[in-house]
Amino acid sequence: MAATSGVGSRSPSVDRLIHEPARLAIMTNLFVVESANATYLLQQTGLTWGNLGSHLARLEDAGYARITKGFKGKQPETTISLTPKGRAALIEYRQQLLAALARMAE
Amino acid sequence: MTELSDLKTLERDAFRKFYEDGLFDLFVGLMLTTMAVGAVVSDWLGSEGAGMLGMLCISALLVVLLRVTRRRLLLTRLGSFRPGPDRRRKISASRLALLGSVIAGVVVTAFAAAAYREQVPLATFEVVMPLLWFLNSVLVMGAMAHFLEVPRFYLYGVLFGLAMPLLVWPDVLWGVRIPPWVAFGGLGAAIVAVGLSKLRRFVRQYPPLPSGDVTPHGGH
Repeated sequence: MAATSGVGSRSPSVDRLIHEPARLAIMTNLFVVESANATYLLQQTGLTWGNLGSHLARLEDAGYARITKGFKGKQPETTISLTPKGRAALIEYRQQLLAALARMAE
Repeated sequence: MTELSDLKTLERDAFRKFYEDGLFDLFVGLMLTTMAVGAVVSDWLGSEGAGMLGMLCISALLVVLLRVTRRRLLLTRLGSFRPGPDRRRKISASRLALLGSVIAGVVVTAFAAAAYREQVPLATFEVVMPLLWFLNSVLVMGAMAHFLEVPRFYLYGVLFGLAMPLLVWPDVLWGVRIPPWVAFGGLGAAIVAVGLSKLRRFVRQYPPLPSGDVTPHGGH
């Protein structure tokens, strides 16, 4: 698990790697598909190539995303997917966040 | 945290976007229009076979054009993705519905051949064939609308299905002959108009993305 943060001693920890909005957008978009190419993620998230590349690199370093270089016909294509660890991390992040929001509502 | 609270909507909207280019609409509309062209060619050459052959050639050309154009248009603007297992099941179901439509087409053709050889009374054929056409169209397009979650395909099923009854039944019931270019061409043109409008909107809404790539360790 990547670095987590808690707000106050009773608050649950939240995965800071996923908590960043751009990475959260990448993770959620990858969560609902099996895999996607980089253009798809660029369109879905509205990031630039540079931003997308750097955020993907961090997700890959954490073991959350898998980046595969290949060819589709004669065209080079980069395919990105979430690893089982990444999927589990997003589910856990969601539970932590919902629990935190539920406490805030009380 | 909309993305987290409604992942199903996120997936559905992303998938539907790939049908907002209007190309499938154009394909359906042009298929109907092609049938009108086939009927006109048949009348012109005095040969049913020539009309059928022309129709088949144009239909095959439309299928190829649809595939090539969709790939070129979508890849540079929306990218591509491999859907999850649920969506793949739905896509397979819609393909099965299309296959069922082809089988139904063979049955209708066999029925038409039987009527031609006077093995089936012409009156029965003229009532039953348009009904089969309508049911087939509504069921297939309805299945596609349901499984692909694109509601306007329900309407296309009805419009496509109405073409044959509109051509045959007024003539049988009241002696009013509606030309094929009106029955097929008119309904086809309506769907083509929707397709063109959607294509225009799609091209404006999703310009080609800047070319580039990501590398496994940052940069581009």
